[in-house]
Amino acid sequence: MIWNHFLLAAGVSASTWLLAAFIPKRELIRNGLVLLGIASIAIFIGFLWISLERPPMRTLGETRLWYAFFLPVIGFITYWRWRYNWMLYYSLALSLLFLFINYIHPENFSKTLMPALQSPWFVPHVVVYIFAYAFLAASSLVAMRGLYQEYKGQLQPKIMLMADNLVYLGFAFLTLGLLFGALWAKEAWGHYWTWDPKETWAFITWLGYLVYIHRRLHMPSKFKSSLWILALAFVLLLICWFGVNYLPSAQFSVHTYSQQA
Amino acid sequence: MTKNTKTLWQSPWGYSESFLLAFGLLLIGFALEFTVGSASFGSLVFPQNLILGSVYILLIAMVYVLIRKKAIFKFLSGIPASIGAIAALSFLVVIMGVTSQTPMENRELVSRLGLNRLTSSIPFLIINFYLLFVLGMVVIQKLFPLKLKNWGFICSHLGLWITVFAAGLGSGDLQRLRMDLNENQIEGRAYDDKGNYMDLPLAIKLNDFKIEEFHPKLAVIDNTTGSLYEASKPSLIMIEDGLKCKLHDWEIIVDEFFVTSGRAGDRYYFLVDLGAAPAAKVRVITPAKDTISGWISCGSFNRPHESLKIDERFSVLMTVPEPKKFSSEVSIYTPDGQKQEQTLEVNKPFTVNGWKIYQLSYDEKMGIYSTKSIVEVVKDPWQIFVYIGVFMMMIGSVYMFWRGNKVKNEETLTGVSN
Repeated sequence: MIWNHFLLAAGVSASTWLLAAFIPKRELIRNGLVLLGIASIAIFIGFLWISLERPPMRTLGETRLWYAFFLPVIGFITYWRWRYNWMLYYSLALSLLFLFINYIHPENFSKTLMPALQSPWFVPHVVVYIFAYAFLAASSLVAMRGLYQEYKGQLQPKIMLMADNLVYLGFAFLTLGLLFGALWAKEAWGHYWTWDPKETWAFITWLGYLVYIHRRLHMPSKFKSSLWILALAFVLLLICWFGVNYLPSAQFSVHTYSQQA
Repeated sequence: MTKNTKTLWQSPWGYSESFLLAFGLLLIGFALEFTVGSASFGSLVFPQNLILGSVYILLIAMVYVLIRKKAIFKFLSGIPASIGAIAALSFLVVIMGVTSQTPMENRELVSRLGLNRLTSSIPFLIINFYLLFVLGMVVIQKLFPLKLKNWGFICSHLGLWITVFAAGLGSGDLQRLRMDLNENQIEGRAYDDKGNYMDLPLAIKLNDFKIEEFHPKLAVIDNTTGSLYEASKPSLIMIEDGLKCKLHDWEIIVDEFFVTSGRAGDRYYFLVDLGAAPAAKVRVITPAKDTISGWISCGSFNRPHESLKIDERFSVLMTVPEPKKFSSEVSIYTPDGQKQEQTLEVNKPFTVNGWKIYQLSYDEKMGIYSTKSIVEVVKDPWQIFVYIGVFMMMIGSVYMFWRGNKVKNEETLTGVSN
């Protein structure tokens, strides 16, 4: 059963990462362990894909799985590039949280996929979006850390550069995801944009990060307001990602992740 | 930091003026919506939209020529003005995101302000025009003089401008019509969402409608309410031959399964016939190790549905199968006497004479026995311009990804936190 494999994969990730956290000094071994944990989730996703005979991107649980995979990947890349240890551990912890949520809320795995979703656009649209979400989630962690430092009166300007970098990468993916979705919709239904609740909130999220980027360019030495904008933009992203499923108007949305998929 | 002591509307303008301007325009928009109403505004169709669009572009160019040396141009092409306009648009879209956008008959405050149909309301229109104006100023400011290093900026900003402009102006020329195709009949007419029929410059004959379905699923329902019982996940399991699974507290074993079948006497047999429905013989083992056995079927338009009662409260049943793939084999005739054989499928539209034909639906009551196919025909003459804008934005995004944020890094590092 798929479920036993999930426990195995999540167990490997959890144990390798916990082990990695205890040996931060032995960098090579620690990095190896981190990568092993990531690989374990990747293998499970691949296995799920084959056994479902469709890309596992339909239900909320499946997207959480991708999230649990991409977050540590991005955490690791960020660590590699800027040597922020805490970023690595934050992202590992968050990934474990998502795996844990999937453990307590096992979703229905089934093969059905409605014809509208059977499109070559499906995988790029969703993967690009999940990548964007993972980058932007990482940027919001930076924002929270920045706000904490600011509260303590010891904000380091370097943290803003990190937030900027993550937002730029995330925003580029977010824009591509939005545009891929629009092109797909045009191909599938004849209209780019129908203001479906999910689309509306995706647009609001996009505007939120747009404000952050412009504000940073305009006032690069004002940190506090920018950090608050970044934190707020992530709240919008969360509403877009799963909050929208609980809005009554989203009932007939093509983007509602069906619980009974 | 020194406190900004400049009085309002004193040059140079900043955030306060920007927000007052954008939200002032919103206020005017709502006032107009409340008093005049947007019902008198029809969608612009060709050639009015082309004329209006040209006038608008000319206006932007004229304004630029007139004010490019003045302080106001610096403000309008600057970041605070952009942020003000984005904020005002966000405000409207957030309202759209939390309220349901459905037509209302009664003239309450919500509908008088256009809050239930924001995309066609005056404030939405005004703020879009304002946003396009500010964005236009921003683009012009980067275009003259043209520098090679600005290509990424111009791609993303001009791309956005073209997309919003073309999609907005072109919406009146967009035609979306439906056609009901019946097997072996030629159809040359399509109807709009109000049911008005019109002749098309093409005719379609449905030769064959094909549909494939997923297997039906097992589910447990509450006998008293008739609703799906979801005590644990998964609450629906797809039926396969020989399936053994645990559904909530019960073990369920599928002994026999027919994709199409008919009932004869006390059991179902494999059968190929009009309306033959899926059926399965299942064994349900209760927590007390009692076994209940029987046939279930989801039925069809001409066969009854059958469920198996587990106890007083619950029954196990088979859901109606979901479509996996549906397609129409059609012949398309055009006025020039040509005939084309095509297969229309969801996500695979076909273009003929400027019309795109989409597979939309079928007679869902009949399921796999449907001989009717519903297609949508769409004409969107402005599509090419929207695509140009979209591709420019994509290039802009790739540029952004590749470059990251390298500007103003130094300023950030030397700057002081406020």
